[in-house]
Amino acid sequence: MKPLKIFLVLLILAFLLAACGGSQAVEEPAVEEPAVEEPAAEEPATEEPAAEEPATEEPAAAEPMDEEITMRYFMWDPSFEETEQIMVDKFMAEHPNVTIDFQTIGTPDYWTKLEALSAANDLPCVFNMSAGFVDQWISDGLLYDIQPYVDADINPDDYYTGVFDVVRDKNSGDMYAFPFAFVETVLFYNKDAFDAAGVPYPTEGWTWAEFLDAAQKLTKDDNSDGVIDQYGFWFYGRYAHIESWVYQNNGRFLNENKTRFAADDNAIEALSFLDSLIHEYGVAPEPKEMEGIRQQDVFPLGLAAMWVDGAWNINGNRENIGDQFNWGIAPIPRGPQATGDAAYGWPDSMAIAATCEHPDLAWEFINFMTGPERTIDLTFGGKIPIYKPVALSEEFLEKDQQPDNKEFLLEWANYTGPTTFTPGWGEWRGYTDGAGLEGRLGEVFNGESDLDTAVNSITEHANGVLERYYP
Amino acid sequence: MKHGKLTPYLFVLPTIFGLLVFRLGPTAVAAYASFTRWNVRTPPEFLALGNYVELVNTETFWLVFRNTLLFTVIFVPGVMIISLLMAMMVNQKLRGIAFFRGLYFMPYITAMVAVAMVWRWIFATRFGVLNYALTNFLQVADPPAWLADKTWALPSLAIVAVWKQVGFQMLIFLAGLQSVPGSLYEAASIDGASKRQQFFKITLPLLSPITFFIFVITVIDAFKTFEVTFTMTGGGPNNASTTLAYYIYQNAFTFGRMGYASALAMFLMLIVGVTTFISFRMKDRLVEYAL
Amino acid sequence: MLRWIFKPRTLRASLSYIVLFVFAFTTIFPFLWMVATTFKSRGAIFSLPPTLYPDLLFQEGMWEAYKEVLTKHNFLRYTINSFIVAGAASVGQLITASLAGFAFARMKFRGSSFLFAVLLSTTMIPVEVTIIPEFLLMAKLNWLDTYLPLIVPSFLVGSFGTFMLREFFAAVPDELVEAAVLDGATTFQIYKDIFLPISVPAMTTLFLIAFIHNWNELLRPVLYISTPELRTVTIGLTTFQNEYGAQWNLLLAGAVISVLPLLIIYIAAQRNVVEGIATTGLK
Repeated sequence: MKPLKIFLVLLILAFLLAACGGSQAVEEPAVEEPAVEEPAAEEPATEEPAAEEPATEEPAAAEPMDEEITMRYFMWDPSFEETEQIMVDKFMAEHPNVTIDFQTIGTPDYWTKLEALSAANDLPCVFNMSAGFVDQWISDGLLYDIQPYVDADINPDDYYTGVFDVVRDKNSGDMYAFPFAFVETVLFYNKDAFDAAGVPYPTEGWTWAEFLDAAQKLTKDDNSDGVIDQYGFWFYGRYAHIESWVYQNNGRFLNENKTRFAADDNAIEALSFLDSLIHEYGVAPEPKEMEGIRQQDVFPLGLAAMWVDGAWNINGNRENIGDQFNWGIAPIPRGPQATGDAAYGWPDSMAIAATCEHPDLAWEFINFMTGPERTIDLTFGGKIPIYKPVALSEEFLEKDQQPDNKEFLLEWANYTGPTTFTPGWGEWRGYTDGAGLEGRLGEVFNGESDLDTAVNSITEHANGVLERYYP
Repeated sequence: MKHGKLTPYLFVLPTIFGLLVFRLGPTAVAAYASFTRWNVRTPPEFLALGNYVELVNTETFWLVFRNTLLFTVIFVPGVMIISLLMAMMVNQKLRGIAFFRGLYFMPYITAMVAVAMVWRWIFATRFGVLNYALTNFLQVADPPAWLADKTWALPSLAIVAVWKQVGFQMLIFLAGLQSVPGSLYEAASIDGASKRQQFFKITLPLLSPITFFIFVITVIDAFKTFEVTFTMTGGGPNNASTTLAYYIYQNAFTFGRMGYASALAMFLMLIVGVTTFISFRMKDRLVEYAL
Repeated sequence: MLRWIFKPRTLRASLSYIVLFVFAFTTIFPFLWMVATTFKSRGAIFSLPPTLYPDLLFQEGMWEAYKEVLTKHNFLRYTINSFIVAGAASVGQLITASLAGFAFARMKFRGSSFLFAVLLSTTMIPVEVTIIPEFLLMAKLNWLDTYLPLIVPSFLVGSFGTFMLREFFAAVPDELVEAAVLDGATTFQIYKDIFLPISVPAMTTLFLIAFIHNWNELLRPVLYISTPELRTVTIGLTTFQNEYGAQWNLLLAGAVISVLPLLIIYIAAQRNVVEGIATTGLK
């Protein structure tokens, strides 16, 4: 009893001391944020920021140079933290009076956190915004209208403006976020596996029939134990895996003005083609067979010779595949109904909170982060920088690394077609929880349900969600 | 004991203060929110019973409710039987028994995030050690895809939850067992009672109050289960492993439906409350205060 | 020899050991794999058949995963942070729960049973219900990105602890109290000089349970803490999972580091725990 008592007392003392020290240390940042109290007063500015800020060319002048400003910036990708910090440091070096409080939170916690912060009127000034959620955030009035800044500072010739529509308010046409990169889905293929099977590499204009033929030759059971060691292809209900095929078959999941879910025949044809890859031709596994392996590891582990997902996986592939095999990227194969190529792509953006106290500075920061300062070495591998001179530079092609044909990403960027992003997209698409469209397709691909039932069920579910936003 | 009139209130003051500010206050707000449409970002809009009407008419809600009940049906008996067995095992006077006691408690002290990864590997379809053992040692031809299988995902989670939780219930059972006077068993032995008779005639009746206590806290735990789903399946496949508490979280944080989530939460509180109430009602009938 | 083995006593003991080991194996297996994986190279992690034996054990580079986690990923800092949060919250709970438990157990006052019932019924409220209103409150108090939201509520209210200590205090013999009253001790002195010292096992148990809960808290730290330096172990672990999804050896090294401190505390306090629960009157 005795030694334990002493131990306990010591422990308690230690904690009390630690706690005192701790809470003192942590209270400091809170003092720097009096902004929480009265953010509402700033809000009217969002309607007509142009009138108030004529001096957008030289916004630094608007803020007295000696004023110390701390501005928070949230990013959603922890694996890119170090590189982003270099950019942030560069900006701070140019603005000695500015401190960027830069924080990275991985998804989906990122959205949980932003949601809570927005409820508390305590959003960071600048934060990453995805194409999937931007409509929602605009309609909730949480983002700052940056159109006047764009008009003043951005030369449209220097940017891939084609994707700007995604971040525009559907009524006013004003931009509420600024893209920093453009992403699209591609077909990854294992060159070594193709060579071994004697199949020519995918080309532009590859058809579904050619794709299927290749997939059949690439599906192998090396030791004939009944377990397929290498599938030709693999996919599940994820948006990047499905929509890519739907658009390449000239199909649509949503109606014209994107207010209701209404999968057309071409979309259904794409879904049933995908299902046939599993259940008719056996060239792709039922998704549940890959449970326990992260979806982005299946291709690098050599379990499937082809895979369709976002080009941002180029970075991960380089890291995970290393020099185990050679691989390349190609466009998504064209379906029978295709009239031309339709890439599934969207921008990743940076937005300013409507409650931000320093919108001028915030814009300057965004402009800095998305412009010429961000050289290729500070860009995320598979994402295309929104700033053309950088994207079109020789360095972007990264000829010393795999894949060796990144130029096709740039060409393909011109064919960007529709997306399924709507308010409530995360919910009906099943983006974070694997339910919704993703879950119902999953049942089909796992052989637990047929396509018709699933399509009926998803139509009902998705429209239930969409009706809340578009009564 | 004599004391000043105000003294007891001073003693409970911190607790009452905390209770009001950090528990009842937020609960009251949630109760109000359940009658509104509130996406958290914009001010709530009064909806009367709208959320509750939607709730009973939503298929997913009933699925999730069924999942929660199924989880409870596996979790509660699983925890109670195994923890009692464990407690009896470690209540013997054997060499090194303290080691086993410590060991059995280990899962309880570890964070779910930390062990979730390991369990996902155990259950993995192709690379998982469980299916490897099933196919190679037990000759099961086509083992299930556990966490990705509609039927098996929830039971798998319940098993992990039992594994994680039993240590705590074991300790409480153990404390109960240790308070049973040894003289009772001696007397029973002299009367020629078998071990089995001793267990059913002495141990169980004497343990009944503690068993009741454990039952109540275990049921509450089961209804509130969140972390296994959150860390292991995220509710998949297609909501097959979504439980009520997780569904509340989803609606509040990923779907931005705080009002609807609050209505769900009120429902969850209601069923937990009713279950506890019924348990206490039945307590007098079931619990024997022998001696 | 054979005779000795088949002596009923020995036989029963060995049977017991067999059962004990079976339970032990199922309990410990995930941990074994967790530790083993941290000593594996990447190729060995996804091998079929799965191997338990780590290929880097006692080889060069055996500790690489731990080194990387500790240096590149500040887990040491996260661990200290978790100690501060869990320690402060648990110590607070000991103080407030023992005060309240003492009042509920030994004093008669108006509304006491009502208050006690309300206190107990709050354990039924799921965190997910109150977290958003609580978050708004913390924002109003300007406590975001500090440890206060993680410490203060838990510091003030411990329903389970109050319940447990009430049961414990109620079982204390009246004679002890009477003697002190005769000596002219005040109520607070009785609490401090008589009840606290005899309740060390119960308090240790409560401390341990509260510590475990606070240490393993997941949702609150994710919501309240933003600054990387303030991260607790559980956030460190989730951030980490986002970043190094495929590098299981690193992930699990982080997991091992997050488990160790609790294990050490538990081992140190273990003897008191069973005694603590046994004497609380929960029987």
